[in-house]
Amino acid sequence: MDVSGIIASNAAKYAAITVEKETPLDVDAGLLLVTDLNPIDEESYAANLEDHLQSLARDGAQALLAALFALPTTRSDDGPLAQLPPPTTALPRAKPLPKPKPPTKWEQFAAAKGIQHKVRDKREWDEERQEWVNRWGRDGKNRRFEEQWITEVPANADVDFDPRKEARDERKARVAKNEKQRLGNAARAAGGTGKKGEDGEPRPRDARKQQIERTLATSRISTASMGKFDRKLDGEKKVRGVKRKFDPTERPLSDEKDASLALISRMGSDAKKSRRDPAAAPDDEPMLNVRKAVRFASKGRGGVALGRAAAGGRGRGGGRGRGGGRGGKR
Amino acid sequence: MRPLTEEESRAVFEKLANYIGKNLIHLIDRPDGPYCFRLQKDRVYYVSEESMRLSISIARPNLVSLGTCFGKFSKSGKFKLHITALDYLAKYAKYKVWIKPNGEMPFLYGNHVLKAHLGRITEDTPEHQGVVVFSMSDTPLGFGVTARATVDTRKLDPTSIIIFHQADVGEYLRDEETLF
Repeated sequence: MDVSGIIASNAAKYAAITVEKETPLDVDAGLLLVTDLNPIDEESYAANLEDHLQSLARDGAQALLAALFALPTTRSDDGPLAQLPPPTTALPRAKPLPKPKPPTKWEQFAAAKGIQHKVRDKREWDEERQEWVNRWGRDGKNRRFEEQWITEVPANADVDFDPRKEARDERKARVAKNEKQRLGNAARAAGGTGKKGEDGEPRPRDARKQQIERTLATSRISTASMGKFDRKLDGEKKVRGVKRKFDPTERPLSDEKDASLALISRMGSDAKKSRRDPAAAPDDEPMLNVRKAVRFASKGRGGVALGRAAAGGRGRGGGRGRGGGRGGKR
Repeated sequence: MRPLTEEESRAVFEKLANYIGKNLIHLIDRPDGPYCFRLQKDRVYYVSEESMRLSISIARPNLVSLGTCFGKFSKSGKFKLHITALDYLAKYAKYKVWIKPNGEMPFLYGNHVLKAHLGRITEDTPEHQGVVVFSMSDTPLGFGVTARATVDTRKLDPTSIIIFHQADVGEYLRDEETLF
């Protein structure tokens, strides 16, 4: 029996498990990566692109699998697990490098003057107590004047001089100053967009000014009438960048007429209000505030009710009041 | 050309009310047909609805004038009345001043009205009140603002100013190219 035909057909069915190339494939098992550095075979590429790509991919996958099976394995419930070596291919960073922190004002000054930075220990040796103590914080040394049981008082001190309070105030002032400087540094670091200064850097002052203006513009239109009926302050500037909007020219003229008449009546009432001056009130105006008097006499029920009460409840007063007539339906 | 905004209307009405007071309503609410105010190149025109609708179809740069020019807005937003508004002001004027024939020419050349030229004046005219100036033959000549109240004018000397000049019909010749 000649089995050579069967062997040949089997061999044709299963391609070789070893991949032979001019340049050997570069396998990085840690990243499950195979790189084929061979130049592209132009003939097979032009003849059938799909077959060419498939054979390339097959060779790569074969090389990767062969590399994986060569790795040391550990046993597990799910079968043997290959242990991947650390990756050898360097990949670029996903995110850009962090920007350097903007220097604080002190750091700028120190750099300009060439001052070297000295790291100061948080703890300090206390000669009296013969132990290490904190400079600040819990049992900090910066509070030693406040915690002394006896304190020397200067000769020219006031009667109510309190050395503990004095020392505490000084310490608190230092803390407040530091906090203020910290906030200033943070604001300077945050001031981004804005006009550029002479050196091309955005000036933090301008950025802050812009932000304040934007906030002001927002707050001006954040009232119930969206800023329309608010009282204008003296020297208040017009909000910039707001588009003007006009009525259409061909609106029905009756609308325009009504708006104009309403405006005129409003102007008239304004004029009356502005002219109302109690000292210069005309003689024919009564001294008595009639509305107030009616409200007082009728205990807030109005003139109609007052008239009805004066008439003894007989008949109707000047019209329907809140209490209603006697014979009225309830 | 566009309608006035509320602030602009207010400025115009306040200025007009200075001369014609409550009669301003008659300008807006006319029995003979609707009229309106329109703004074109900073000038305020008083137009009938018909001509306003006709002029809508004219492009803004090409529209030179329409209706009656009442005045113009300055760059700072103030409204200034022009002499072309005199027809309506004279018709509805609340306070009037008539000047003698020998005072007509000085007034028409842009001078203030002196007491010597004063013919008649409406009774009880207050100080700084807008008035329309007429000749003795009831021809409107211009308008101005009183320098003194009527009662105070009696003790003044003849050369003192009674009416401050604001506009006169002489401007039709003097400011011909810029008036309309």
